[in-house]
Amino acid sequence: MKIKAFLGFSWLRDLAVLLFGTTTVLFFLLRLAGDPAIVIAGQDASDAQLAEVRAQYGLDRPLPLQYFAYLGRLLRLDLGNSLADGTPALEKVLAAYPASLLLGALAMALALVLAVPSGTWLAARPAGAGQRVARWIIFMLQGTPGFVLALLLVQVFAIKLAWLPAIGFGDARSWVLPTLSVASFLVPKLTRMVEANVGAELQASYVRTARAIGATEREVLLRHVLPNALLGLIALVGAQLAFIVTGLVIIETLFAWPGIGWLLVQSTMNLDFPVVQAITLVIVATVFVINTIAELLQRRFDPRVRQATARGVA
Amino acid sequence: MSRSIRASRLGLYAGVALLAVLAVLAAFGPDLTGHDPLFVDLAGRFAAPFGSEHLLGTDQLGRDLLARVLRGLRWSLGVALCATLLAFAIGTTLGLVAARSRSLAGRIIRQVTAFAQSFPVFVLAVSLIAIVGNGFGALVTILGLVTWPVFCRVVQAEAASLLTREYVLAARMLQMSTLRLYTRHVLPGILASLSVLVPFHFADMLIAESALSFLGIGAPLGIATWGNMLQESRSYLVTAPWLMLVPAVAIISLVFAANLFGDGLRRRLGVST
Repeated sequence: MKIKAFLGFSWLRDLAVLLFGTTTVLFFLLRLAGDPAIVIAGQDASDAQLAEVRAQYGLDRPLPLQYFAYLGRLLRLDLGNSLADGTPALEKVLAAYPASLLLGALAMALALVLAVPSGTWLAARPAGAGQRVARWIIFMLQGTPGFVLALLLVQVFAIKLAWLPAIGFGDARSWVLPTLSVASFLVPKLTRMVEANVGAELQASYVRTARAIGATEREVLLRHVLPNALLGLIALVGAQLAFIVTGLVIIETLFAWPGIGWLLVQSTMNLDFPVVQAITLVIVATVFVINTIAELLQRRFDPRVRQATARGVA
Repeated sequence: MSRSIRASRLGLYAGVALLAVLAVLAAFGPDLTGHDPLFVDLAGRFAAPFGSEHLLGTDQLGRDLLARVLRGLRWSLGVALCATLLAFAIGTTLGLVAARSRSLAGRIIRQVTAFAQSFPVFVLAVSLIAIVGNGFGALVTILGLVTWPVFCRVVQAEAASLLTREYVLAARMLQMSTLRLYTRHVLPGILASLSVLVPFHFADMLIAESALSFLGIGAPLGIATWGNMLQESRSYLVTAPWLMLVPAVAIISLVFAANLFGDGLRRRLGVST
């Protein structure tokens, strides 16, 4: 597959299949789980309201007809209205989207700044005493749930030291703790991945050549190994996305950060199903697009991946 | 070399011992404390740990924290274990199907598994809670249903490679039945990599469950679970930090035990993942 073809429509088709699959699963689960009218209208809806919802969503019609009507509404981007305030669900989700994007991007940047140097340091001298200690710390951090760590951060920085606000979305100072917390979901895993990548590159024959012609360890690491290892990292950024989104859901709720993660938990609690569905679809689409971009970048910059694709491996 | 082998064995035994102690505590602990985890004693609120008849102190309603954390242990172990088993069963079955089948079903399974690798399944779990509701059975089902691809991916890859081995081809030529082929030749070959996944998955389920409860959408409100305890502790971080520290330490040590066990098992079985 050529890059041009890749830039064209095949990924759009994949995205369409994906969204179609997700919505189909949600549609049938909603019917399997009980009376969808109650889920859509809320637990304490009156009989009149239930009847209205059934008529509005065509729940009194046969299942296949309901399904096609549902798909038709999806094609018109009509995901229903929020039960909380009646505004269109998709609109509500898109309004909360930028706050999540900001937090996710900040956390990703911070995680990279922390993980790349420490991972490289760990791989450069695998048996060093400092590295052993660091590896134990990472092992412990990997076992600490992100929200527990976030609570500890709040305890220390917002309450004991009172340096930073514990909650809310305001000036840059209020960004610090949420960013640190979301990044903490990524840093241990990312560090180990960088370590593994750099370690693998250090075994390559070009490293031996570079050493043989008299390059210092520093030059070998910074000029030869790191660029190659970081290429592999582009693919890993895509894989890290799942952790970021999970982190966003938990941390946004903890800090009352008005993004889609917070909205998802609020809507789940209020049984506001249209909004939950809209958020799920928006997240599916986002994850897919970012993964596609990461793959594209990798193809652009890494000739090995390009050749593998040209031979029809990927 | 011998040093690292000894270290890994030590980790494995330590993990097993720690898990065994925690399992015994979960089974008998709640009955041995002499306190009801739900008993409210407003006169004895916020008792500090180690100071009174309450070993780990009391919470904002005067409930005994030791009794609550042990009851929470039972809940956490139960949910995480059942969810892991469910994911294991679904993932292994579908993985074996996908390893061999060139049918549409096999293709769909492979596609779903590949996508699930980069998809935040936690989000899916939250949206399923909006549909199905919460509680023990619902949580186990939802967590199992959204995480089976973890097992499926490994089973499918390893089984596919085993199926091309000569001894499997020979067995097939000898007209061995598919069931026998799988139970005698394929499953034993993938058991090592499969069993290493279990403790790590258990740890993930544990974290996921307590995170959901912490967000207020996992365990039903009112019962004693670690997530619920952490959620309630948020209002008292200044005045009574032990309300947060007790369940936090509990989660970290259980996850740590599972990771230690998994890591030791991985090195012992020589599986590289």
